[in-house]
Amino acid sequence: MAHVSVPMYWRTIPQRYKMIGQKCKKCGAVNFPPKGVCKYCQTSSEFEEVQLSGRGKVHTFVLISAGGAPPEFAEQEKAGGQYPVAIVQLEEGPKMIGQIADVDPKEVKIDMPVKAELRKIYTEEEVIRYGFKFVPG
Amino acid sequence: MAIGISGYSAYIPRFRIKKEDYAKAWGLFSAAGVAEKSVMGFDEDVLTAAAKVTKRALESVPTAPEKVTRFAFASTSPPYVEKLLSGTVLYSVGIPNTAFCSDHTTSTRAGTEAMIVGFEHVMSNPSGRAVVAAADAPIASMWDSIEHALGAGAAAFVLSGDNLIAELEGHASYASEYFGERFRPREAPYLHDLNVKKFAEGSLLTNTTRAGSALLKKLNRKPEEYQHVVIQQPDARVPATVAARLNFTDAQLASSLVSKSLGDLGAASVPVALASALDTAKVGDKIMVISYGSGAGSDAMSFKVVSDRKTQVRVQTEMDRKEYIDYVKYLKLKGAIV
Repeated sequence: MAHVSVPMYWRTIPQRYKMIGQKCKKCGAVNFPPKGVCKYCQTSSEFEEVQLSGRGKVHTFVLISAGGAPPEFAEQEKAGGQYPVAIVQLEEGPKMIGQIADVDPKEVKIDMPVKAELRKIYTEEEVIRYGFKFVPG
Repeated sequence: MAIGISGYSAYIPRFRIKKEDYAKAWGLFSAAGVAEKSVMGFDEDVLTAAAKVTKRALESVPTAPEKVTRFAFASTSPPYVEKLLSGTVLYSVGIPNTAFCSDHTTSTRAGTEAMIVGFEHVMSNPSGRAVVAAADAPIASMWDSIEHALGAGAAAFVLSGDNLIAELEGHASYASEYFGERFRPREAPYLHDLNVKKFAEGSLLTNTTRAGSALLKKLNRKPEEYQHVVIQQPDARVPATVAARLNFTDAQLASSLVSKSLGDLGAASVPVALASALDTAKVGDKIMVISYGSGAGSDAMSFKVVSDRKTQVRVQTEMDRKEYIDYVKYLKLKGAIV
């Protein structure tokens, strides 16, 4: 399992629990997840925090089946079966990777509208790591 | 000043298991009147469910999360025995860090316990906004018949002094010392129950009828003046027993009897059932609410419906959205196969 220490995870909870993004003060583009230098103009490191809506649509997706899941998600796959992982185009612009939850994997479609909500991602060091997944809607 | 409920919402996880699947596995199904029950997904727990209903309840008013001054969380099945639970929900929803929050976890009465502390906050802070979220998915050993009824669900309420859907007319409680029914010793991962049926029923009837009749007396009301009565639902038969004892009828129970298709929702039982009653209630309707938690205690609350405004996601819609699973998948999702 890719080890993510508790302090390292904690530093990312604004993005994982609340989808706080960064708006570049120079070009105005929204970066998510946060970057050191704006991914779009590649010149500015001045940002203001913005609350993303969590809404977007499926840009593309893949279904993870037995044997395909990384170790931290292997138990999820064994208990719940195949699960979809998508690149979601957020309505503010950025593209984001996330699981699609609360859906029959066969019903996931490109361009399907989704919204982010809090879910358990995995557990490490007996600490439940919460974060967003996307659900239809 | 009138205070009450200004927004509400429920969430039911989409998995269901039917009583027939239990009967196939164990030869019987011991939850009276329950036809099927709800089950949480692998990546859900009571905190993710509470975050979802809290957001929905705030949107139903709508109230911005920044306006919330009090947050109360209730569940008998929290993922941690020690660690602040409400903080996870407060933070993810965007309720200010300075809002006073509390966790209510030790009995199935916790849902109404949290509602009453929420109302007390609004009573003493007329411009305040309290949010109460009850989410539960109680866990017992698969070998224990008490496990059969246990379902999963959540409901949240926004409590305030304005923009009311239902006004709180009053509340009353009764607490006493009983034991042996539904308890979890410190070291035990699962619920215990000594299965002394008559004794447990005595506790349930004593506590609920005393809280209920105290409130009727306080408000000078008769049972027939209520259109809806919401009673704790450890199965689908208990509410009728309590209702009959207090001279309420099955017709008054109909709008809130969610346990037939969701099972025992623990601390979220009365909150989800109340959301269901609010979904169908008309202006002028009166709702009596009576919770119960083993050990034992009961809270009664009386509401008068003052607005036709409803939440966007009805309990019935949540109940209709479902996917059936078999008993083996149920065991996997519950973490019963290790």
